[in-house]
Amino acid sequence: MIPLQAQLPDGGWTYVVSIVAVSLYVSLTAVGLSTLFSLPVALGIGFTDFRGKRLVTAVVNTGMGFPSVVVGLVVLILLSNSGPLGSLDLAFTPRAMILSQFILATPVLLSVSLSAVEGVDQSVRDAAYAMGGTRVDVGLAVIKEARFGIVTAILAGFGRAISEVGSILIVGGNIVYSDGQSYTRTLTTAITVEARQGRYEVGLVLGVILLALVLAVNGLGSWLRNQGRGERSV
Amino acid sequence: MTLSVTDVNAGFGGSTVLRNVSLAVDPGKVVTVVGPSGTGKTTLLRLLATFRRPDDGTVAWDGDDIWAMADDERLGIRRQVSMVFQEPSLFNAPVHRNVSYGLRVREPWQARLRRSFGELVGSSRPADTVVSALETVGLVESVDQNALSLSGGEAQRVAFARALAVDPAVMLLDEPTSNLDPHNTALLENAIERARDRGVGVVVATHDMHQAKRISDRMAFLHDGELVETGPPEQLFEDPTDARTARFLDGELLVGDRERSRVPQSPTADP
Repeated sequence: MIPLQAQLPDGGWTYVVSIVAVSLYVSLTAVGLSTLFSLPVALGIGFTDFRGKRLVTAVVNTGMGFPSVVVGLVVLILLSNSGPLGSLDLAFTPRAMILSQFILATPVLLSVSLSAVEGVDQSVRDAAYAMGGTRVDVGLAVIKEARFGIVTAILAGFGRAISEVGSILIVGGNIVYSDGQSYTRTLTTAITVEARQGRYEVGLVLGVILLALVLAVNGLGSWLRNQGRGERSV
Repeated sequence: MTLSVTDVNAGFGGSTVLRNVSLAVDPGKVVTVVGPSGTGKTTLLRLLATFRRPDDGTVAWDGDDIWAMADDERLGIRRQVSMVFQEPSLFNAPVHRNVSYGLRVREPWQARLRRSFGELVGSSRPADTVVSALETVGLVESVDQNALSLSGGEAQRVAFARALAVDPAVMLLDEPTSNLDPHNTALLENAIERARDRGVGVVVATHDMHQAKRISDRMAFLHDGELVETGPPEQLFEDPTDARTARFLDGELLVGDRERSRVPQSPTADP
């Protein structure tokens, strides 16, 4: 049996480490940006009654099932040299991968955080307003009351982003430098390459690392929820 | 500083809840708003707290229309008014965080961030005003307890302490003692009287006529969205000018009694 070290592509373990780093950089950035976008939008939708609110909610929920390859294809068309955003020169870069993961994670984050925000009793908003809170204070009070649901939303968004393969393969190109350092190769896209090349042990190692990452992030989320339960919110 | 409504109308979804209501809250006075359930007491308090615009009429601070003011100016007025709701409406946080909420939102952002950072790296002591407000309602020993674990009565007292801690010019209290036993009712009534003596204008919506008699400088009887009669409690209890006031105070005018209240009924007319 060939030892694992010998099966690793050029770069050895630094190849693996760089893949993990790119995966985390892309997914955490995408989820961070998606959180900054989704929370105010969830508050806006949750707080206001407007015509078509149910339609908007239905569209957001449908977005959770977006096929990632379709998202990747559309993002690539937008970012390609002949596309409307071609001048930004983002195709086959980690930024393009962040964009596609942002698009995939946002409906998940938005939908779960919207239901968390809508679950907060009207009395919390009333109390924050009556005690002299501004609109921002009222929003923050609701976010803090909905914090367990929002942590769940962020974790769900991260789960969607880190485990996704189709769109980042298309928009990132799965590129490694000649010295074995990853440029746009992530854990998921690396597993597809390793499987195709018959290096199943390497693929399995990467798979275990991916699972461990997801487990660690979920563990952190559970810990935060337990720490926060009954502790201070507002 | 007088908070007032003049000729206000307010409704929901086409139905009118308040009709041409005028009421003023002067400094150092307690006004109780009494009337059957569903008659518009809470809506009146929410108008005074600027939760919503009236459909007609004005809500004014020292004669200036609050809804004609710029947002910043209106916020300044709002921060001189505090409200306690029928339901305690507490945050999922320790009691001291609930009571200090109004004080914290009044701080500038830099101070808030500095304080939040200080709380993250070390423990913080509740402000003296928070402790003093909790002493007033007899709950200083619960300062670190989570507010959602309190009983209904305790929660109501914390909500009162939260409204008191910001040193308001006007307090709006919607059934503030509905969950309280006689001892704690007396505690809160004393606190209301002390606030009045400091010059705070207080509006109390209540079903408890004995309480209205005890704490009011003026009573306002609201019926079917209409302010039927206002005056000192002695006048309303002993010499009401409107038959509906007399019937309500005698315990005859109850919920759903709107139409009958306008027509004297013979004893046999009621089933």
